Amino acid sequence: MRWWAAVEWIDQILREGKKSVDEVEVFYVQGRSVSADLKQKKINLASASVDCGLGIRTIHQGRIGSSSTNDPVHWKECLDAAIASGHLATRLPWGGLPGAQDVSQTPLTFDPSMKVEPASALILLEQMLSGAEEHTADVTAGSAGLSTATVTLANSNGLHYTDSHTGVSLSLEAIHGQSTGYEFDHSSFFSKVDPFHVGERATFYAHESAGGKDVPTGDYEILLSPLAYAELLGSVFIPALNGRNVHAGRSRFAQSLGESVADPLLSMYDDPLLPGADGSVSWDAEGMPTHRIDFIRDGVLEAFAYDLKTAYRYEKTSTASAVRGGYGGSPGIGHHNFIVDGKRSRVTDERVVYVHGVVGAHTANPMSGEFSVELSNAFWMEGGEFQEPIRSAMLSGNVFSLHNEIIGLSHESRVIGSLILPSVKINKQRIIGK
Amino acid sequence: MPGITYFDLRHVTGQITHIDIDNGVFESAGTTFFNKAVLRVISNTGWGILQIDNYQPQTGKKFDELLQEACKLSAITQEQVSLGNVPRGVLTVPAMKEDPRSVSIEEKSAILSEIEKGAIHPSVVNRRANYIERVEQVEFSDSSGNEYAYEMCRSGFNVLAVASRNGNTQMGYEREHSIHGFNLRHHQDLGKKAADIAVALLDAKAAHGGKMKAILDSELAGVFAHEAVGHASEGDLIQEGNSVLKGKTGLKIGNEMLTIVDDPSIPEFGFDPVDAEGVAVCRTEIIKNGIINAFLHNRESLAAVGNGIPGHARAMPGEPPLVRMSNTFIESGDSTDHEIFEECKNGIFLNGSRGGQVDPGRGVFQFNAEYGYLVVNGECTDMVRDVSLSGEILTTLHNIALCGNNRVMSPGYCGKGGQSVPVSDGAPTILLCDAVVGGSGMD
Repeated sequence: MRWWAAVEWIDQILREGKKSVDEVEVFYVQGRSVSADLKQKKINLASASVDCGLGIRTIHQGRIGSSSTNDPVHWKECLDAAIASGHLATRLPWGGLPGAQDVSQTPLTFDPSMKVEPASALILLEQMLSGAEEHTADVTAGSAGLSTATVTLANSNGLHYTDSHTGVSLSLEAIHGQSTGYEFDHSSFFSKVDPFHVGERATFYAHESAGGKDVPTGDYEILLSPLAYAELLGSVFIPALNGRNVHAGRSRFAQSLGESVADPLLSMYDDPLLPGADGSVSWDAEGMPTHRIDFIRDGVLEAFAYDLKTAYRYEKTSTASAVRGGYGGSPGIGHHNFIVDGKRSRVTDERVVYVHGVVGAHTANPMSGEFSVELSNAFWMEGGEFQEPIRSAMLSGNVFSLHNEIIGLSHESRVIGSLILPSVKINKQRIIGK
Repeated sequence: MPGITYFDLRHVTGQITHIDIDNGVFESAGTTFFNKAVLRVISNTGWGILQIDNYQPQTGKKFDELLQEACKLSAITQEQVSLGNVPRGVLTVPAMKEDPRSVSIEEKSAILSEIEKGAIHPSVVNRRANYIERVEQVEFSDSSGNEYAYEMCRSGFNVLAVASRNGNTQMGYEREHSIHGFNLRHHQDLGKKAADIAVALLDAKAAHGGKMKAILDSELAGVFAHEAVGHASEGDLIQEGNSVLKGKTGLKIGNEMLTIVDDPSIPEFGFDPVDAEGVAVCRTEIIKNGIINAFLHNRESLAAVGNGIPGHARAMPGEPPLVRMSNTFIESGDSTDHEIFEECKNGIFLNGSRGGQVDPGRGVFQFNAEYGYLVVNGECTDMVRDVSLSGEILTTLHNIALCGNNRVMSPGYCGKGGQSVPVSDGAPTILLCDAVVGGSGMD
């Protein structure tokens, strides 16, 4: 579908919808992607996709309806379904969609040099395999993908924004005996990923974790890698900062605004305008201009995230935190670039249990924060060096309370999806040996 | 077309209806539509795959252009892919008792609302109920002339209750999903059950970690079978060398009463009338009488690995098929629950599942119960919360000491390679010795 054609029927949807409802919002995405997968060291498949999707939201007297389709030619059916869906919704306080504002339309996550072609995926896979040669381990699987997409958001109050994104992602899995290793990287910019490093780390973890020893059950100082920390933070802690969860009674932080919820060492914020970051965006999924949100400053809880619907409902202000997982359904509350920050220190000088990954973080209790996960690629670490690998053990604790036990943040941070995190050193955590 | 040795096309259209009620407020309800296809070609070496949104069926020259496009992609492949010979046939989709499409969304909303209201309780601070109904029309054809078409409808609901007291927040969660038609009626009790569990958990203790005897209820034992055995028996992982079960066919891995099966042909939530490559589906005994018997395969892994049964390729609409489980279960034994609790004597009884995860190459898995009870002298006593178990594939199955006589299947979804497919897991009640239990409780 050519762009001018899309614009034409987006205006048609807005005009047609306005005949029946107070406000109409159209979200349209079109994109394409290419990827290639390894089976062991050979490319087994290459795939390409052409995607398009249309999401329509209607608001009439405080009732919000929505529908979506990936067949935009039949937008009328989709609009009718959205309006019908609004009839079923409960009437809620609503103060209107935003009109056009002076928001930058310069894409923040678009790399014009990104070639969404099989040849680019081939280069990435070859460089990963080259990196994988650095250590003795067998490659089992790997993948490299590139994508580009254009997003259009328009509403009946005159807002009409477009944005373009590009993405590159790669991953490699390796095994040495019965010891596995995995590494990945992703960015909006082709030159920012390091395929050689991904390959090297995957075989490093597989090789170095072999021959591990058990540890006795007890309380240990641990160092969670950004990857392990992201799993626990993403499944429990971040949802508790979501305004809807807060007001619905699904957040542990519901009564904690202004209180200390983490060690004073720690701050957490969303910076949607961070140059070069994958989640950077000038306007959110409802067209609100984005800005920094300081959720936790020096350990004190200062803010929650809101979209328009939740803000109007609870007499708050939108923090421009509306996000869409795709074109389907309504936007929800999320974040753009979620950053954990604070005073950095040398966290690997003293002997500590380093946890590279965890198995089963999604089974944590999202309400209470309790978790027990299996460790993966865990080592004793001292003087900045990996020491003996730990064979197998569980880590049990509470995601909320462990934030009061954080005693150090590493100098380096790493991007994990839309999170930007350091390694975190935590006092006295329970490890269950086998 | 020159160079093309095989192609297939899987086209899925459909609609999804959902209702979301949050603390009595209808947050959203309505219908969305989708149309997705995946065209796969083997040309000289490996796969070239086109994923197409909004596919309009093509014939003649236009279809040839799509084949050419997929061919171009496969030019970078290096592995020589072969496909195994497979049985063909399509099962009849079980008839629905009541087609959800014949029930208005207003009526569905009213019934769901009753279930949600069932969770009202002074200590419950949040109630949430969701209904989901997904209808898919599937069409498949391949270069060998195989063709099939069928329609499937899956529907069901979840209800969540969150209880809170003095900063302690707990949840109860109940769900029912089915391929047998509209299943919202007569379930008002599940809202109350979710609330009762959430409230009871406010007084539950954190479990103590360590090795102990554990009794697993049907749902949790089903997840155990799924994580401990199912994933590691998937042929694509065996082919990649990323499973501890590789080369272990014939190895005794558990005691003689233990048989673990994956069967897409039975009318449970993971039912497929035919697999995503047009292959007939049938029962696959992964573990038979304690011995590793058969891997789960698609056509490619069958040819590359052998020692197993094809018909296990599954895919989300528009996605390439992967080797997946469907309905996975531990066969019933002959022990009664009374005998299992007597034999356990002192340990922990674990109920429900919050899911699990496995590293099949390392052979280590983890899964989590919704709640449990301490077992003292064969009797359930204090309630405990947040209990996980972990184990090692090659040793843990030996620790299944008893299997009950009461297998039950539970519906759910399983994720792999970015795709989520409907599955069911099941088992009888089982007794696991030397279970490694994770918990943060202290004396």
